[in-house]
Amino acid sequence: MPGSSKKLEAWITVLAAFVAIVVLPVLNGLVPAGSALHVSDFAINLYGKYLSYAILAISVDILWGYTGLLSLTQALFFSLGGYMMGMHLMRMIGDLGQYHKPIPDFLVFLGWDYLPPFWRPFSSFPFALLMSFLLPGGLALVFGYLGFRSRIRGVYFSILTQALTYAASLLFFRNSLLMGGNNGFTDFKFLLGFDLRRASTQRGLYIATAVVLLLVYLGCRWLSRTKFGLVQQAIRDGENRVLFSGYAAAHYKLFMFVLAAVIAAIGGILYVPQVGGINPSEMATDKSLEAVVWVAVGGRGTLIGPIVGAIGVNALKSWATEAFPDLWLIILGTLFILVVLFLPGGVVSIPSRLAPVWRRWRGRTPGPEGGGKSDPAKAGAAAAPQPVTDPP
Amino acid sequence: MKPRLSAVVLLLLSWGACALHAAPDAGEAAVRRTLARAILAEGAEQQSLLGEVSESGSKLAHDVLAAWTRDGVYLYHPTASSSVPVLLEDQLDAQGKARAVRIDDGHIVTDARGGELRFDPNTLDTADTDMRLRSTIQQALDALTLADPDPDARRAAVVKLGNSQKLKYIAILEARRPREPVADVRKAIDESIALLELGETDPQVKIQAIHRLTQLKSMGSLDRLKAMADNPATQPLVAQAAAAALLELQRHIERVNFFGTIFRGASLGSVLLVVALGLAITFGLMGIINMAHGEMIAVGAYTCYVVQNLFGSGFRFAITLPFSFFGRQVGFGLNLPGLNAGGWFYQSYFLFAIPLSFVAGALAGLALERTVIRFLYRRPLESLLATWGVSLFMQQCFRMVFGANNVQVDSPSWLLGHFSIDDVSFGYNRVFVIGFAIVIVLGTWLLLTRTPLGLLIRSVMQNRDMAACMGVRTDRVNMFTFAFGSGLAGLAGAFLSQIGNVGPSLGQNYIVDSFMVVVVGGVGSIVGTVCASLGIGTVDQVLQQLLESPVVGKITVLVAIIFFLQWKPGGLFTTKSRSLD
Repeated sequence: MPGSSKKLEAWITVLAAFVAIVVLPVLNGLVPAGSALHVSDFAINLYGKYLSYAILAISVDILWGYTGLLSLTQALFFSLGGYMMGMHLMRMIGDLGQYHKPIPDFLVFLGWDYLPPFWRPFSSFPFALLMSFLLPGGLALVFGYLGFRSRIRGVYFSILTQALTYAASLLFFRNSLLMGGNNGFTDFKFLLGFDLRRASTQRGLYIATAVVLLLVYLGCRWLSRTKFGLVQQAIRDGENRVLFSGYAAAHYKLFMFVLAAVIAAIGGILYVPQVGGINPSEMATDKSLEAVVWVAVGGRGTLIGPIVGAIGVNALKSWATEAFPDLWLIILGTLFILVVLFLPGGVVSIPSRLAPVWRRWRGRTPGPEGGGKSDPAKAGAAAAPQPVTDPP
Repeated sequence: MKPRLSAVVLLLLSWGACALHAAPDAGEAAVRRTLARAILAEGAEQQSLLGEVSESGSKLAHDVLAAWTRDGVYLYHPTASSSVPVLLEDQLDAQGKARAVRIDDGHIVTDARGGELRFDPNTLDTADTDMRLRSTIQQALDALTLADPDPDARRAAVVKLGNSQKLKYIAILEARRPREPVADVRKAIDESIALLELGETDPQVKIQAIHRLTQLKSMGSLDRLKAMADNPATQPLVAQAAAAALLELQRHIERVNFFGTIFRGASLGSVLLVVALGLAITFGLMGIINMAHGEMIAVGAYTCYVVQNLFGSGFRFAITLPFSFFGRQVGFGLNLPGLNAGGWFYQSYFLFAIPLSFVAGALAGLALERTVIRFLYRRPLESLLATWGVSLFMQQCFRMVFGANNVQVDSPSWLLGHFSIDDVSFGYNRVFVIGFAIVIVLGTWLLLTRTPLGLLIRSVMQNRDMAACMGVRTDRVNMFTFAFGSGLAGLAGAFLSQIGNVGPSLGQNYIVDSFMVVVVGGVGSIVGTVCASLGIGTVDQVLQQLLESPVVGKITVLVAIIFFLQWKPGGLFTTKSRSLD
């Protein structure tokens, strides 16, 4: 049974990846706009956003689901990656801004007439990309070192990471940081010479996001099956036993924390050019908690779960904020309470929860020889009131 | 019991009504007559009548004299030989005419049969003024503001005269000084006289004025003294005295700022303490991370708002849900009539609101514990997530019921204002918060250490299973503890409503801070929570003063806390334990 479910999972992965990477872009680019099968540019852009959120969700999950660290700072790393890439994109606007000056508009607005020194190297794409990894990774390294060294764990770790995120968002709201203040960065024009306002560029970014998501997924899947990954999960289940078995748990946790920061930053790098802006509200503590919601809803401790959760909850959000703008927060809050209380394994655990019911139903119904006569609806109705005391 | 209570309420109500409709005093009629005579008189008589008016301190006299200088006082002639000074009302009718009010008795001008007369301002004679009269009137006006019945208005007028740099006011101020009943205002008069004397030509007078300013610790004179000390044209002796005074004053200001900062730190710390104390119970003792704690605070604050409205014009809301049910719009609402109380009784609403906000917070906590938290005692991290969901839910409910904008909660008049000791001002509301924080902490401490319930609470929190084995009904204890912690949050909300805005995200502004307080103080330690909140409050205020930016100060505090936990990972006061995990 486990073998077949593994095979099934592999097939689903391949199919989903094929649909996301090949089918959707083809339907967007090659099928004419009038056709029923056409996927609009808006939709592709929206899916691209969901997929970069899915990368963020994976980064939350490898910490929370696999290492037992509930980090409320992943949205900060996500936005830091985004901000570094955003700085490059701001430089690429050139003098096409409102003020037609060679420096970003908000700097002109703040009274600058030359580029602040720390902005200069961001004209180079490789440097910006490097910084997108180095800054979140470096911050995670320093904070993680301090935190894990003094054995801060459990809820204290969550509270401290929340404080870090809060402090950082306060900092980025300030104009004097010269990172755009409240409004952040917006109005991007070019990336690597491609015009960001064109549908083909957005399609390319979408495909890139889908491919990166697949790679991140496969990479994390591989890591979780190595010996390293097993120690990781052992830390989640019983940190003291791991410690007393002679493993330096703090080093393992630190590595995972930095890795998760970098993965979140990758999500941010892909997010910014597709959404067309970034501002400090993206790094507020609420966003980190929201990312944790995606993982919880999808299913923590699995790698499919975060992806399902990120896409599902965001799709629900897009729909609900339009249909019931006043009730959206109530829907999200209720969904969250219900999932935590009644579905700790998330949406992906539904099949395995239903499996015993399914098996019992199969056991009740006559074999294939008499199957023709049985009415599935009737059989289902008969199975439902059955007492749960049956051993599976 | 009930009829007696309502009788008391009626009595209170009638008191309030009396206070509102105070009868106009007899003095006003006399002022009116003198005013009317002064307007019609001439020469020396007019001067002396004006002098008499200027001593009255009446607001009415001020208004009439001010109108006179603007040519707004008219003369109405009922017969050819007699004149009556009148004021025209601002409201003009279609013909550009207005009713006239007699200055001598305050009645509307009527004709012989009692019909109201209307006048065109352009056709009536005005009571004339000349240069000399205008300056006399102006003097009377200045003296009138100095005699205003409100001490704050008097002080403001004195300070204004002191800053005018016109020597002629020295005489007016000196005339007023012996008759001034309030010591504070007398001090302001002394200060203003000395400030004006800085403008005298005689260096001896100047130096004496400087000495007096130093003695009075006059902060208002700082700029003048600085200018005098820096100006090369000042006589060397005067400049020397000014420089010495400057040094003295600056030292005084530093002292004032220091104590002011300590006081503000203590009051911010008290707010943090009140906010974090509930959290110290639910998080520290029970291990539940209640992200909806902030919303419990908001429940308390909104309770204050509702109680205030019940004492006023009533409270009502209506919500229509954005979907229909069997073709009907679904919605619900509430309409509570108000007491329409006034005066003293209305001002006491806050005293009723305090216990009610505790009750409201406790009830909300009880509901939360029964529906969500009790399933999560063994899963603390998940309690964080579920309660965050609750927090979103409640915030949106606040928005729907009370609107997305901040609501207005009036401070009762007895919490407004401040008193000063040696120029350090202490706001009544801040002093009140500090006092109440002390009461709440004492109460909590007594409850936890001196009552049977406290014993049960501590036993369940130390070891839930063992307590259950000993026959403690842990389920019930949990419920009460959580309700108590939430009730404290509700109390905190009542206080925050007095010192800040009340809005749907009120609690969000405090939640990170209060978690910090509990973590720094040491989880499960009330003493730790007290020390941490006062410490963080003071450090925050000091840093704000030094760095001149609240945000940078806050960031520094947060970073400092992270480093502090390197040194003491368990917080200030750790509970010693040999158990792992």
